[in-house]
Formats: sequence, structure tokens, C-alpha cells
Amino acid sequence: MALNYGMNLILGCCGCCSAFRPRYKRLVDSIFPVYPQDGLVKSNMEKLTFYSLSSPEKLDRIGEYLYQRAAREIYRKKYGFVIIAMEAMDQLLLACHAPTLNLFVESFLKMVQKLLESTEPDLQILATQSFVKFANIEEDTPSYHRRYDFFVSKFSAMCHSGDTKDVRDKIRTAGIKGLQAVVRKTVSDDLVENIWEPVHMDKIVPSLLFNMQDSSFHKEPPHGDTIPEDSVDPPMLAETCMRELVGRASFGHIRAVLKPVLRHFDLHKSWVPNEFAIHTFRIIMFSIQAQYSYTVVETLMDHLDENAKSSPTIRTSIAEVLSKIIAIAAGESVGPSVLEIINSLLNHLRDSVKNGTIQAEERQYQEALINALGEFANHLPDYQKIEIMMFIMSKIPFPLVDNQTPADNMLQSILLKSLLKVGTKYQTIHFNTTFPVSFLEPLLRMSLAPDPEMRLLVQKIFHTLLDRHGNLEKLHKPTLNIVDSDLNVEKSSRPDLIFINKHGPTIYDALYTSLQMDSNTPDNIEAIYTTLGLLCVELASTETVIDLLQLLLGIQNLALNSTTLSYAQKFNLHALVISLLVLISDVMNIQSLSDYSSRLIEARREEASYCLPEMLTQYPAHCESISKMPHLLVDQMAVCEYLKASGIDPSRLAQTSPYGAGGPGAIAGSQRHSWMEAGARGSIMEIPSVHEVDSAASSPGVTRKLPEEGLSFESMKKVLSEPPEIRKESEAEKRKQISHTFRTATFSELVRLTQPKHDLLQNKLNEIFKSLTTAESSSTTDDPKKLSKCEESFPELFYY
Amino acid sequence: MDDYKFLFKVVLVGNAGVGKTCLVRRFTQGLFPPGQGATIGVDFMIKTVEVGNEKVKLQIWDTAGQERFRSITQSYYRSAHALILVYDISCQPTFDCLPDWLREIEEYASSKVLRVLVGNKIDRDDREIPTQVGEEFAERHNMYFLETSAKESDNVERLFMQIAEDLMKQARMTNVPRYDPNNYNVDPASQDSGCCSRLN
Ligand SMILES: Nc1nc2c(ncn2[C@@H]2O[C@H](COP(=O)(O)OP(=O)(O)OP(=O)(O)O)[C@@H](O)[C@H]2O)c(=O)[nH]1
Ligand SMILES: [Mg+2]
Repeated sequence: MALNYGMNLILGCCGCCSAFRPRYKRLVDSIFPVYPQDGLVKSNMEKLTFYSLSSPEKLDRIGEYLYQRAAREIYRKKYGFVIIAMEAMDQLLLACHAPTLNLFVESFLKMVQKLLESTEPDLQILATQSFVKFANIEEDTPSYHRRYDFFVSKFSAMCHSGDTKDVRDKIRTAGIKGLQAVVRKTVSDDLVENIWEPVHMDKIVPSLLFNMQDSSFHKEPPHGDTIPEDSVDPPMLAETCMRELVGRASFGHIRAVLKPVLRHFDLHKSWVPNEFAIHTFRIIMFSIQAQYSYTVVETLMDHLDENAKSSPTIRTSIAEVLSKIIAIAAGESVGPSVLEIINSLLNHLRDSVKNGTIQAEERQYQEALINALGEFANHLPDYQKIEIMMFIMSKIPFPLVDNQTPADNMLQSILLKSLLKVGTKYQTIHFNTTFPVSFLEPLLRMSLAPDPEMRLLVQKIFHTLLDRHGNLEKLHKPTLNIVDSDLNVEKSSRPDLIFINKHGPTIYDALYTSLQMDSNTPDNIEAIYTTLGLLCVELASTETVIDLLQLLLGIQNLALNSTTLSYAQKFNLHALVISLLVLISDVMNIQSLSDYSSRLIEARREEASYCLPEMLTQYPAHCESISKMPHLLVDQMAVCEYLKASGIDPSRLAQTSPYGAGGPGAIAGSQRHSWMEAGARGSIMEIPSVHEVDSAASSPGVTRKLPEEGLSFESMKKVLSEPPEIRKESEAEKRKQISHTFRTATFSELVRLTQPKHDLLQNKLNEIFKSLTTAESSSTTDDPKKLSKCEESFPELFYY
Repeated sequence: MDDYKFLFKVVLVGNAGVGKTCLVRRFTQGLFPPGQGATIGVDFMIKTVEVGNEKVKLQIWDTAGQERFRSITQSYYRSAHALILVYDISCQPTFDCLPDWLREIEEYASSKVLRVLVGNKIDRDDREIPTQVGEEFAERHNMYFLETSAKESDNVERLFMQIAEDLMKQARMTNVPRYDPNNYNVDPASQDSGCCSRLN
């Protein structure tokens, strides 16, 4: 045996007699024991190390000779000697000092490669360990010509080892560690090797993912990143490596990492189910340098684009992944990127609607997108939420008419759903910040859409934005026992009262008009109850109460006189009226009014229980109108009495109602006109410049910033300082026009129009809304005393 | 034993089950592995051969045919000097997929890569693709063509030797730059040699 070895050695050394061979060769030979199991001859190894340190110029030859020996032993399958050779290499590498290191590294890496090329798992693992040691050494002068292509290729192949389970895990672990080492070695210096090149990333990333996906990924590592380095759990290790890789990626490199990630999920069909994708993307989001997290969102959205033709199930899954990570990005997104993300999500929604709207899968996809939108908005500051709501609003296609295509309808309702989603994430503090005119106006306009579903959505948006005190659940359905639900009522603030003074009429009018729609279901009517209830609770004041009672009586008239509403709808309205009366008397704590409503309820229970909640779509045939039974109706005079008795001035309520009886039989035009002239609310167009300011502020996308506020306030002041005569004169013409519009077509009438004159309708609606805005503006300023008082106290509120 | 003069990278592609791994094992280890399982990702083998009097080292990257590994396997095309596209002569679908494979090669491999079409499993008696059909396809797409049997060891040696010879001929024809043993030539297309690296 020993003899044999000696013979081989002599043969292997070109026949030279060992005595005449160079010193370095003899030193190298001396580190090998006779029997490999005896291991490295330590004392001789020390001599070799000492020699190479004192004669560093010999290092390259020592390295080359060691390599030759190892290669020979591999060929002979004497792996014990190979291991010893590698160990010697490792020791020399660590002992070498910086300037001479380069001489040695070449043969060191050649040796590592030689071992990696062997089919022997143990040698591959050994080689990897040596490579890791090498990667941990800091080199002063990196070797620019050194390339790691082979190592990346081989380590990646090892990551996919298909050996038997035991060997497999060891090889895979080695592969991952090898990749980690290459990355660490190269990442800091692009000149050495640009590890971010696709040729490398396209190998590294799928190799890591392939191992990660084998893990029981739902189990988070017990203590974050504290996985021991020598762990033999390939999935964990791959995950750690992935975190490190992503964490080191600078902006220019992110896509090089993300692209193969997305491809991997496509090819491995890992979008459905998407647990692993979510897991991976969360890892990416948490590891990536925060300022780049937006790029991940963007890339994922681009990927949705690329999957436009994929099944909706896949798109849904991708969108779900998006919704799971988008919140993480929200914190870092600033300025235009926010609207870009929103815009992109909305575009995807639009495309989806184009795809076809009926399939359940496509709907799920839309839901997922809307969820993503909501998640994103949820993590933005409130002021941006308003911006987003206005932005979404600006994307909703007008006009809203009966005969639009189902796709139009779908898009509108989907955008409204998105709006609702964002709305639920928003916490209202002051109504005037939540409802700038540019938001309120289109929202009210949409509350009159021909499609009852859409109207319902708009009411829901109002609900979520109005409800500041958690009363929504309690006001969800009309009830006669509101006392039991223990409403949370807080005294309303002045800014709120100013808001409702200014916008109340517009809002009430829209609600009233919406009740005139003959396509209303009980859901629609109940939703309006909720809106009115919330307004009442949130803005409880004598002013508001009078307004609400006025509206309430108007609604009762509508129920009595309308020729278009069905019996069921009329009964629903009566139920709405009585429920509101109960609510108002409770919120305002007017006992006599409470008692009055109780008596009415009692009477109705006896004679017309169908005029009480709950609201139905159909009633038995014997149910008949209660117009002939005045004792069942809310009596205007009686209400005035009770108000007066509790110290509230009811004079405004006693005047002619601003609400027409509704229905073509009593064209609201004339009535509405008389309301305008009755002066109860002042006439329209009192303050023209306010109108201008408002329309400027209502252009979508315009954010209210300080200079604008100044401007608005300025113009307001100017208006106030001008004598009314001049104002009236200068605006006489305009007023005439508007009045004309009011005479020729009423709000509700316009809405009911079904002729395909979209433009005309649209224009008129716009005109009327503009004028209404002005009308309610004027109502705030109608009373000069009140105005000046408010202006003194809250000048900043007057820019609206 | 390790002083090779040329290093070539050879990549095998083709549908799952056509016998890529068997071809490689037959060539590198001289055996036909019983119950060879599907390749996962990429496998690596090395074999040094002698052409004329020169030693040529072949780095053989055996890719998985399964579609889910396409992302990792494609990343190996780029540095290949030769691509062996394999189909199974007893399985029509593996032949029908060839145009798809060519498209991938077109997209991911160097334009100068040596392409060889191989119809494997000629030992089988349920042939579906006549030799002539394979030959014509290869001709049409400017590829070498060979039929093999990994099982019976038919043409396997010849296949790889032919590739080694051809690549060496190409390498000699062009102006070969001095070889740096550690410069593992990332992109064959980016070098003047076009397709090989040479040891000094
Ligand atoms: N009769 C015959 N069978 C063969 C031949 N070559 C391979 N096979 C068989 O074909 C099957 C697949 O062989 P593999 O070499 O694993 O095929 P592959 O192309 O590597 O497949 P993937 O790794 O999945 O891409 C095995 O059952 C082999 O025994 C051959 O030349 N003749
Ligand atoms: Mg295989």
C-alpha cells in the first residue's frame, strides 16, 4: 500500500528524484500523510505556511502544485488526500497577507472548481465551504479579470440537486451558501463582477425561490433573521439569502431581481394558490431599501398588465398579492407615485370591465383590485385619501343616464365601490375638509344616477364619511325604537354648522329628488334614512332640525301626491317619515314631539301598520293610501306647536315648503320657483363671485393650498364689501338665465328624462348644480349679521 | 490529467423524457442509468476528450425538460458554445415542440452557438418520426443532425466528439485570444473567438 503510493508519487512527478525537487514541492509533499485517514501532517503544514510567508513569490507555484496533486488524487478517487489538499489550501489562504494573496487565489479557485466538477457530493460540499471562506476574505486589490460565471452556474445547479433526500439537502444547502458567498464577494464592487447582470440573477433568484417554496413557509422563523449559519434547512437558508440579496439591491438592480421572481411564479404556477407568492413578496418588501418599495408595487402592476390575457383567477391572485404588500409601500410613497399607483389600479379596473363583466372570476379580480386600492389608501395620511377620492371621482364617466352600456354602468359602480373602499378608511373630523365642493358636487350628482344600485353605493359613501361617532350600525335600518339604541350624540361644532348651513339645502334637495325615483327599492329608501339619520345625529342643532322637519314634511307630501311612485314606495316613504320623526325628537330631546310620534305610531299600528317599518317591496292588496286619514299623518301645525312649546322658533317650518309635491302631475318647476321667490332662503345668485370661486375650486385635482385659500377669502371679502345693488345689477343677466333653466326643467324632471340627449341633460345638470352651489352659498351669507359673526370667529372657514 | 487546451460549454435541451440525461450519462460515465428520474433544474457533468492530440474539456449542462424550470434553464443558454436539441423518435409531440425550442434558443442563446438536432431512442421499434423528417427539419433550420440511442450507445460518442471537433475547428479558424484559466468567459458571442476559450 505504502509502497504503491510512493511509486505513484514518483511517477506523478515527471520521474524526478524527490531529493532533487524544489523545496516548495518537498514541503507540499510532506504535508500528506501516508494514510489519508491520519489527516494533514500538522507540523509540516506549519513549515509550509512559514515558508510561503517568508517567500511569498513562491505562492503561485505552491498553489499550482497543490492543485496538481489534488487533481491527481481526484482522478484516482483518493478523496482523503483531496480533502487534505483542500485543507492546506484553506490554511494558506487565511495565512496569506493582502499583497501576495492574488498570486495564490487563482490556483485556490481552480482547485475549488476542480472539486465542484467532481460528481462526488462530499467534494462539492467541501469545495463550497472553501469558497465561502474565500468570500469572507477582504481583498485590497480586487482582481478585475476574475469571473464567477462557473460558480454561479454550478451553485445554482446544486440548489436543484435531485439526489436522494439526505444528500440532496446537503448539496442544496451548499449551493445556497455558495450563491450567498458569490453575492457577498461581488456585490460591493461592480467592477469585479456585476452580479446583478441578468445572466447571474436569472440563475440565482430561481434557485433561491425553488428552495424557499419547498419550505413550510407559513412558519415564520422563530426569531426573525437569527438562523444559524450552519443550518441545513435549505428553505430557511434560501430565504435568508434572498433577504440579503434584496436588501443589497440598489435602485438600478431591483428589476433584475424582480423579473426572475415573476417568471418563476408564472412558470411554477405559484400564483394560484398564492400563499407562497404573498410570503415571498412580503419578504421582498421588508428587505428592500424602503425608498424602493414603490418599485416592487409598480413591477407587480406591470405584471398584471402582462397577464391581461391570463385567466381571471391568476389575475385575482396577483392582485391579492398586490393588496397584501401595497400597504407596506404606502408609507414610503410620496407625491406623484401615490396617484400613479391609484391610476394604474383604476386602469386595471377599467380593462377588467372591458374584458367582460359577467363572469364571477372577473368580479373577484375586480374585488381584489378594489381591496388593493383600499389597502393602499388605508396607509396614506388622511389628506391624501381625500385627494384620492376626488381623483377616483374624476375618473367616473359621465353622464349617468339610463341607456348607457352595461360596461359603462359596471365601470361606474366599480369606481364607486373603490371610492367607498377608500371612504371607509378615512376618518372624518370636519365635514368641510371631507366634503370640498369639488367632491360633494359630483357625489350628489351621482346620487341621482338612474341605476338604483349606484344610488345605493353613493349613499353608502355618504354613510361612511358622515358617521364620526359610530352610529352607523344603529341607524342602518329605520326603527321606531331608536331610544333603545343609545345613540352617541355630541354637540356639533361651529365649523360643522357652517358646513350644513352652506351645503344643507343642496344635500337635502338631492336626497329628496332621489326619493322621487320610481326605481327605488326599500334598500334605497332605507339608505336615505341612514344618511338623514346620520346628518341629524352629527349636526344636531335647532337649525338642522327645522331643515330636517321641513324635508320630512316634503317627503310626506311626496308620498301623498306622487303619481309616479308605486304604492309600496309610498308606504316606504311614510315609514321613513315616521322613523325620522322619532329620531329627531330623540336626538333633540323634545319630549312632546316624542309623545306625538308615539301616538302616530300607535294609530298607524291600528289602522295602517304598512306605513311603519319594516319596508317591503310588496304589500297586501287591501293596503290603501292614508291620504284620507289625516290623523295618521304628520301634521305641520302640530309639529310647529311642539317646537314652539320647547322654545324653538318654528316660523321657518310654517312657511311654504321648499319641496315640491313631486311627480309630473305637480311639476316641481313652479313650486320650486315659488320657493326661490319666497325668500325663505334668499334668492339665488346673491353673491356671484362666490360662484366663481366655487367652480374654480371644484375642478378635479386642484388641491386646496394656502394661496388659493387667500384668493378665495379675498374675493369673499370683496363681495361682502360691495354694495348689494351693484352686485345685483351686474348679475341680473346671469340670474335671468338661471331662473329660466329652473322654469323650463326641474332637477327631478331632468333626472327622470330618458331621451338620449345626453349632452343636453348633462349640461343642464351641470348648470343646475352650479347654480345650486351658488344658492346654498348665498344662504350662508343671506343674513348679514350671522355672516359677520361667523366671519369674525372663523374667517378661515370662509374660503369655501 | 488536467492540462486541457480547450474548454467548451455544451447545453442539452428538449422535452422532458426524451433522454437528455441518459445521453450525458452514457457519454460521461459509459452507462445507461436504470430508472433515471426527471432532472430538476440543471445538472452538471464534465468530460475531457482528445481531439487529434489536443485535450478538450467539455462542460455539459443537462437541463430539465419540464416547463416549470424554464426560467433557470434558459439562463444557461447564453454561455453555451453548443446546444444539443433532443427529441424522442418514438414520440411525435417531442418533435412537434421543436419550433418552440428553436424560438427559445433564438431568444436566449448566442447567435453563434453550434446547434445540433438529435433524435434519440432509435433502439425502439415504435418509431413515429422517420429519419428523413428529422433530417429535413435540421437542414431547414441550419442544424447538424444525428440519431442516437443512449440505451444501445449508438452514436452517443460520435455526437459529442463531433461537437468537440467542430468547435475546435471554429476556434482554430478564428484568432484565439490568450486563455486566462479563471476567465470563465461569460458570453461566447462577446469574444472574437466566437465560441471557445483556449488554454495557453
Ligand atoms: N429505449 C430507450 N429509452 C431511453 C433512451 N434514452 C432514455 N430513455 C428512457 O427515457 C426516459 C427518460 O430519460 P431521461 O434521460 O431521464 O430524459 P430527460 O430528457 O433527461 O428528461 P428530463 O430530465 O425530465 O428533461 C427514461 O426512462 C430512460 O430510460 C434510449 O436511448 N432508448
Ligand atoms: Mg434529465
